[in-house]
Amino acid sequence: MSNDISFFFNGEKFTGTKGQSIAAALIANGQRELRRTRFGEEPRSIFCGIGICFDCVVTIDGVANQRACLIEISSDMKVESSL
Amino acid sequence: MIIVVGAGPAGLAAAKSAASKGCHVTVIDSQARGGGQYWRHQTEVYGYKSNRSADYLNELQQNKLITHITGAQVWSAEKLGDGYQLNYLQGGVEKKISAQKIILTTGAYDRTLPFPGWTTSGVMTPGGAQSLLKGHGVVAGKTIVVSGTGPFLLPVATALATNGARVEIIEAQSPLRWALSPLALLLNPGKFPELIHYASAILRLKIKVSFGSAVTGYNDGEVDISKVRSNLSIRKKNVRSAPADVVATGWGFLPDVTLGGILGCAQTLDRDETVIFAVDREQRANVQNIWIAGEATGIGGADLALVEGAIAGLSAAGSKISVALIWKRFTKRLFARALQRSYPVGAGWQEWLADETVICRCEEVSCQEIIESVQELGAEDARTSKLFTRAGMGLCQGRVCSRNVSDIVAGTTKCAVSRNERLAASNRPIAAPISLGVLGDGIAG
Repeated sequence: MSNDISFFFNGEKFTGTKGQSIAAALIANGQRELRRTRFGEEPRSIFCGIGICFDCVVTIDGVANQRACLIEISSDMKVESSL
Repeated sequence: MIIVVGAGPAGLAAAKSAASKGCHVTVIDSQARGGGQYWRHQTEVYGYKSNRSADYLNELQQNKLITHITGAQVWSAEKLGDGYQLNYLQGGVEKKISAQKIILTTGAYDRTLPFPGWTTSGVMTPGGAQSLLKGHGVVAGKTIVVSGTGPFLLPVATALATNGARVEIIEAQSPLRWALSPLALLLNPGKFPELIHYASAILRLKIKVSFGSAVTGYNDGEVDISKVRSNLSIRKKNVRSAPADVVATGWGFLPDVTLGGILGCAQTLDRDETVIFAVDREQRANVQNIWIAGEATGIGGADLALVEGAIAGLSAAGSKISVALIWKRFTKRLFARALQRSYPVGAGWQEWLADETVICRCEEVSCQEIIESVQELGAEDARTSKLFTRAGMGLCQGRVCSRNVSDIVAGTTKCAVSRNERLAASNRPIAAPISLGVLGDGIAG
């Protein structure tokens, strides 16, 4: 049984391993920038990595402000950068 | 029944000891697996003696008296009759659980200090790098500078290097500071093999280590390294630079005191002005039927957390606490004090900042805006500055920046931060964001 899981980030297809967080799977794929900030439009990635800082928030299947460091990838999940 | 909030070392020790006295225990935790932030375990474990977690994790899985609720984020708590109700989110659904007795072992998170470039993608906490590696099997980068202060830099740096990253450690304090704490070292001889373990790993993995230095800037894949004094002010600016695609930077830990705060448990300031809970000899809070153990009663690491957790579990089960356990806690607390003495975080880091350096990451508030709120708008404390600038009003509720904002305001007014301001800055009405939609749908049983 394969442990590979495909998901989408801003429309692009990525593959991660079962059990990985969205942030971990994207960083493993070299995709470090997860979103841009509201005011300065600065790129942000994972910071605390444990759900405290909310720097890595993304929109998951239409639900905004989800922490990419906490939520595990699932098949065909659609992740988008929050603004 | 007893509810234990948090499945880290303190929570697991509390559950184990309470269950050993025949009590039913429910452990509720936000992660998918037990172990907390410290004992994150995939099949392989890194770091010194991580295998000691096996006993506790087996107990969690196999003891029929212990129930483990995973992936549950407790967002609020309230008094219910002579017990308590915890409201939590699990998979987007709001649920509740109640019990007469609660043991809070909510742990801690990395304390961070700002520097120019610290909001760049690639800068993260050591805990973040460790969670990527141990929790998700991802090495954060190829060339990693691990910087800040404290012993936690060692397991992080060695784990990253073991997994193929080129690692350099920049430690702000001198190891000679340990000479200030001879008794703590004498009473904790078990720490010596641990030190030897890391020292030999550092040599074997060819990790470069600098003391008395700090990363004071990050730009274009290069860190600026300055010589710093023990209060973190700059002795010599930008003495050298080093390549890094990831900077893991942490300055000790801050306890998560939110939930106990919501339940009205009395907080106090530790010797280093960290907000912690005041507990009695048996780890009881000043609120009836609430016990608190681990980092939330003072940062001390897993060894102290295990002893405090065991004491809290026994006390909640109505058992007597042995003198041996109390003595063990005393020696571990002595070591925790030695850690504070050896790795102090002074206010000198403010010298590293540029006007435009972001202090509040959520609301993108710069150092200059905070200083102007004091000098031009007349703010005299962090609370007023926050109302002017929104620093600390973002999604993280000031967990990352509030202590730093207080220090910057104090550095500008030249007044010390008051005890009340420190305590007030850690008050949060809810422990995690919850959408109005979920809230409106009501609580599932």
